Amino acid sequence: MGILTAIQRFSLHDGPGIRSTVFFKGCNMRCAWCHNPETLSFTPEVLYYQSKCVGCGACAAVCPSHTVKNGKMVYDRAACSDEGRCAQVCFSGALETCGFEADVQRVMDEVMQDADYYARSGGGVTLSGGEVLLQPEFARDLLRALKARGVSTAVESNLNVEYSVIESLLPDLDLVMCDLKAWDEDIHRKWTGAGNERIKRNIEALGRTDKPMIVRTPIIPGVNDNPQEIAAIAAFVSKLPNLMYYELLNFNPLGESKYLALDVENAFSAARPLPEDRLGALADAARATGATVRVG
Amino acid sequence: MRDRINKLSPDADVSYRERLRILRERKIEDTKDKAGINAFADGDDYGAVKPPDDYDFEPVFNHPAGTFVGYDGWSENFYRMMATHPVFIDPCDAFANRWMNCMAWTRPIKFNPDLNYDHLKPEQEKYGIVSGIGSDAHFGGDYDIGLSLGWGGLMEKLKKYRALNPGHDDFYDAEEKTIRGIQEWTRRTVEAIDEALKVETHPDLIENLKQMRDCNEHLIEGAPRTMREACQWMCWFNTASREYNRDGAGCQLDETLRPYYERDLAAGVVTPDEAKYYIACLLLNDPHYYQLGGLSPDGHDMVTYFSYMILEAADWLDSSCNLTVRVHENMDRKFLHTAVDYLFKNKNGWPRFSGDKALSEGFMKKGYSAELARQRVAVGCHWMSLPGLEYTLNDCVKVNCAKVFRLALDEMMAAGGEKSTEELWRRYDAHMARAVRVTAEGICFHLENQVKNEPELMLNLISHGPVEKGLDMSHGGAQFYNMCIDGTGIATVADSFAAIAQRVEREGKLTFDELYEAVRGNFAGPKGEYLRMMLAASERYGGGDTLGDRWAKRISRSFTDQVNAMDEIFAPVKFIPGWFSWSNTIVLGKAVGATPNGRRDFEPINHGANPHPGFRRDGALTAMTNSICDIQPGFGNTAPVQLELDPGMARGQEAVDKICDYILTLFAKGGTLLNINIINAEQILAANENPDLFPDLVVRVTGFTAYFCLLTPEFRKLVVDRILVA
Repeated sequence: MGILTAIQRFSLHDGPGIRSTVFFKGCNMRCAWCHNPETLSFTPEVLYYQSKCVGCGACAAVCPSHTVKNGKMVYDRAACSDEGRCAQVCFSGALETCGFEADVQRVMDEVMQDADYYARSGGGVTLSGGEVLLQPEFARDLLRALKARGVSTAVESNLNVEYSVIESLLPDLDLVMCDLKAWDEDIHRKWTGAGNERIKRNIEALGRTDKPMIVRTPIIPGVNDNPQEIAAIAAFVSKLPNLMYYELLNFNPLGESKYLALDVENAFSAARPLPEDRLGALADAARATGATVRVG
Repeated sequence: MRDRINKLSPDADVSYRERLRILRERKIEDTKDKAGINAFADGDDYGAVKPPDDYDFEPVFNHPAGTFVGYDGWSENFYRMMATHPVFIDPCDAFANRWMNCMAWTRPIKFNPDLNYDHLKPEQEKYGIVSGIGSDAHFGGDYDIGLSLGWGGLMEKLKKYRALNPGHDDFYDAEEKTIRGIQEWTRRTVEAIDEALKVETHPDLIENLKQMRDCNEHLIEGAPRTMREACQWMCWFNTASREYNRDGAGCQLDETLRPYYERDLAAGVVTPDEAKYYIACLLLNDPHYYQLGGLSPDGHDMVTYFSYMILEAADWLDSSCNLTVRVHENMDRKFLHTAVDYLFKNKNGWPRFSGDKALSEGFMKKGYSAELARQRVAVGCHWMSLPGLEYTLNDCVKVNCAKVFRLALDEMMAAGGEKSTEELWRRYDAHMARAVRVTAEGICFHLENQVKNEPELMLNLISHGPVEKGLDMSHGGAQFYNMCIDGTGIATVADSFAAIAQRVEREGKLTFDELYEAVRGNFAGPKGEYLRMMLAASERYGGGDTLGDRWAKRISRSFTDQVNAMDEIFAPVKFIPGWFSWSNTIVLGKAVGATPNGRRDFEPINHGANPHPGFRRDGALTAMTNSICDIQPGFGNTAPVQLELDPGMARGQEAVDKICDYILTLFAKGGTLLNINIINAEQILAANENPDLFPDLVVRVTGFTAYFCLLTPEFRKLVVDRILVA
C-alpha cells in the first residue's frame, strides 16, 4: 500500500505528453517555499478551508475539537484526534482529509482511464510528491504495473536518498525528473533543511545511465534568483550526456490556501513569481553554459 | 445604423489589414448599439446591425386572426420587407449590406391558428417537450446551386419546373416573389453605392465602392464569376435568409470558394491578400456556420492551402466566427495545429472541432453510404446537414429528461410500493419511451402542416428537390427526413440516480422518505441544506467510471433505442438522437423542481452533454471527455464537449501539440463535437460585473459564439458558473 494525496489527470506540466500525476505523501526535505505543504507529512491531515464552512455543525457532532460559535466553526486542530471523521461528515468542502492509502490496483484503475491519451501524445504517468523514493516498494510495484500495460513512466524526485533506492526503480522508469534547488551547499541546507552533496552525487550517477533526465530548479525570490546560482547548476547539469533539458520553474504562489487550511505559517506568502524579463535573464545565464534550457 | 461614408481622410492608410481593423472597431460600435434590444440578446452574434431609428416594417396579414401564414403570406411580406429594407454601405468593406430585421419577429401570432395540435399538448407539457412544431430553418442548403445559377438562373429554373408541375403555382409564385424581393434590395443597394461615390473622397475607397457597385449590379441577374462576386452573392443569400427566418447554416467554405480563387489568381484579378480580405469581410458580414477540412465523398483529406487562407483571414478579422474544423485520423496535422494556435491566440471561440469518424460511422448506421456521410458537414450550432438534401429540425426538438425523472420520482413516492433505484428507473424509462413517442408524433404533425404555417422559401432555392417538385422542404421537397431529437439534462438525471444509489441504498445515510421530503421541500432549512450538499457530493457523471457515469450510460443507451425505434413506426421519416440543450438549459430548468443531485427548484439543468460544474475535484478534462464519449448516441448527431480553458494552458508549441493530441484522442474515442472557450477567469468576472467595459469579449455560449455584453444576466451567469468551477 502507498500513501498518496491525489491522483491528478490531464496533467500537462509533469513531463512529455498528456500525463496523470500520482502524488505521494511524505517528504524528507522542508523547502520553505513548498507549494504542496500537504504532502510533507506521512500521515493523513485535515485541511480546513474556512471560507467554505457553512456552520452546519456536523463536524462538531463527531469531534469535540470543532465548536460552533456565532454561526462560525472554530477548529482546535491540536485537540483533534478523530482521524478524519469530521471531514467525512463535511460536504461543503470546508473540511477534507488529505492523504489516503491506496494499493496498486486502485491507482491503476484511475490512471488507465486515460491510456489512449498517453499513447497518442507520448505521455504517461508521473510519480510525484512529496517524495516518491521514500515509498520505494510501492513506487516499484506501481511502475512495474504501468510498464506491464505499456504505459510510459516518469518520476519527479528530490534524489535525497541512497542511490541504491533510485537504482532499484530504473528498470521500470522511462524518465527521471529531479530538482537541484540551489548550488551552494549552505543555501540549500538553510532553505530545504538538507544538504545537496548527495543529490549532486546521485545526479552524476544517473548521468552515467542511459535514462533520460530533466533537471529543474524552482526559482525562489531571495533564495536562488541570481545568475551565479543558476549558471553554476546549469554548468553542472550541462555535462550530463542523457540530459533532455534543464528547466527553470518560476515561483509558484498557489500553495497559500493550503498553508491556511493546514494552519501553518507560509514563509513565502508575500513572494510573487519573477517577471518575465528577470526569468529570461536567468535562462540566458543558464544557456551561456551550453545547457539546453527551458522555462516552465 | 451608422453612417460610414467618407469618414477617413483621403491620405489615410486603407491597406486590407487596416480596413479590417477599422471594420472590427465599427463592429464593436454596432454591438454596443444592439445592447438592450431583446431580439439580439442571448443568441449568436449573427452580424446584424441595429436598423435606423426611423425604420419600421408593418406586415400585412392574410389570416383573419392577425398574422401571416403559408406561401402567400410569407412571400408577400418578404417582398415588402426587401423592398423597404435599409441599405448598409461601408466603403472599407468589400461587400454591401447587413441584416437588421427578421420576418419571424414581426408575426404577432407565431403559428397558424388553423393548425390544431391540442391532442399533443398535454403530454408535451407533462414531459417538458420542446416540440419543434412551427420551428424553421435548421438544415443546410447547397450554396453551389445558387452560386452556379445566380438569381436570374434560379428564376429560369423556377420557370422550367413550373411548367413541369402544374398545380403548384402557389409554390412557384412565392419563390419568384422571394427572388424579386432580393433583386429589388440589390437594385436599391447599387443606387446607394452610386450616392456614396458622390460623397466618398478617399481614392482607394472610391475604387472599392466602384468595384462593389459593378459586382452588385451584375448579381441582380447574373451568376457570380469571380471570388468577390461569389462572396457578395453569399452575403446576399445569408442576409436575406436571416431576414426571412434567421437561417444561419453555411457550407464547406474552403471547397466552395477555392475554385473561384484559383480562377481569379490565374487570370491575375486577385492577390492572396485581397482574397483573404474578401474572406474576412464575408465572415464579418454574418458569422454563418462554415466547415473547413474533412473528407471528400471519395475519402481524401479536403484541407488545402485555401483552408489555411480562411483561418488566416479569420485571424486578420479577429472577431466572432463560427468556423468548424473537421477532424479525422489522416488529416493534415499541421492544419489542426494551426487551428489550435488561432483558438488560443484570439480567444474568440473559433474554430471548434467536429469528429468525422463518429459522425460519419454513426450516420451510416441509419442506412446511408460513406460518400453521403462525409458530405454531412457541420453547418449549425451543434449539428451537421447534407447540403440541400435533408430536412432535420436540428436543435429544435428537446425532451426534458430532468422533468421526466422528477415525474417518475413523484409517481414512485406517491404509489407507496417498492422504493428503489431500479423501481425508479423502471418508471422513468417507461415515461421516457412515451415522451419520445409523443415527440415523434409532434414532428410528424410539423412535417404535415409546416408548409401551411411557414414555408422555407429561401432554403428551398438552394436545395435539391423543392424547385424540381414544387414542394417545400418541410413537406416532401427534401430527399431525406432525418429528424433530430435531443435529450437534455442527462447529467442532472444521472447524478440524481447516482446520489440515491450511493446515499440511500449503499451508505444508508438517509431513507427514501427523508430524501423525498428534502427534495420536495427544496432542501429548505439547515437540515435540508446539509442533505443537499451531501447529495451533491455523490459520485457524479464526469468523474470517471463513477456511479454517475454508469447511470449516464444506461440513460443514453435507452434513450437512443427509444428514438431509433420511431424509424419503423413513422417510416420513411427517420429520427436521430443526440444530447444537447442549447440555451434551453435555463428555460428547461425552470420547468423542473428540485432533484436528488442537490439541484434546487428551477435551477438550470446541465449544459448539453457536459457534467454539472464541480463534477470532479481536479476537473480533469480527460475524465469529463471520456464520460461524454461514453454517452454518445452514435447515429450521426452530436453530444458535444464544451470546454473552458485557461489561456495559459497552450503556452508554447509543445503545449499546443498536447491539445491537438487531446482533440485527436477525443474523436478517436467517439466524440462528435468540441467547443472550446479560452477564457481568463479574472476577465470574465470583471466583464460580468460591468459588461459594457468589454464590448469585444466573445464567448462560445453553447454551439454558438456571442458577445458577452449582449447576454442577459441569466446567460452570463451560466457562462460564469462554468468557468469558475472549471
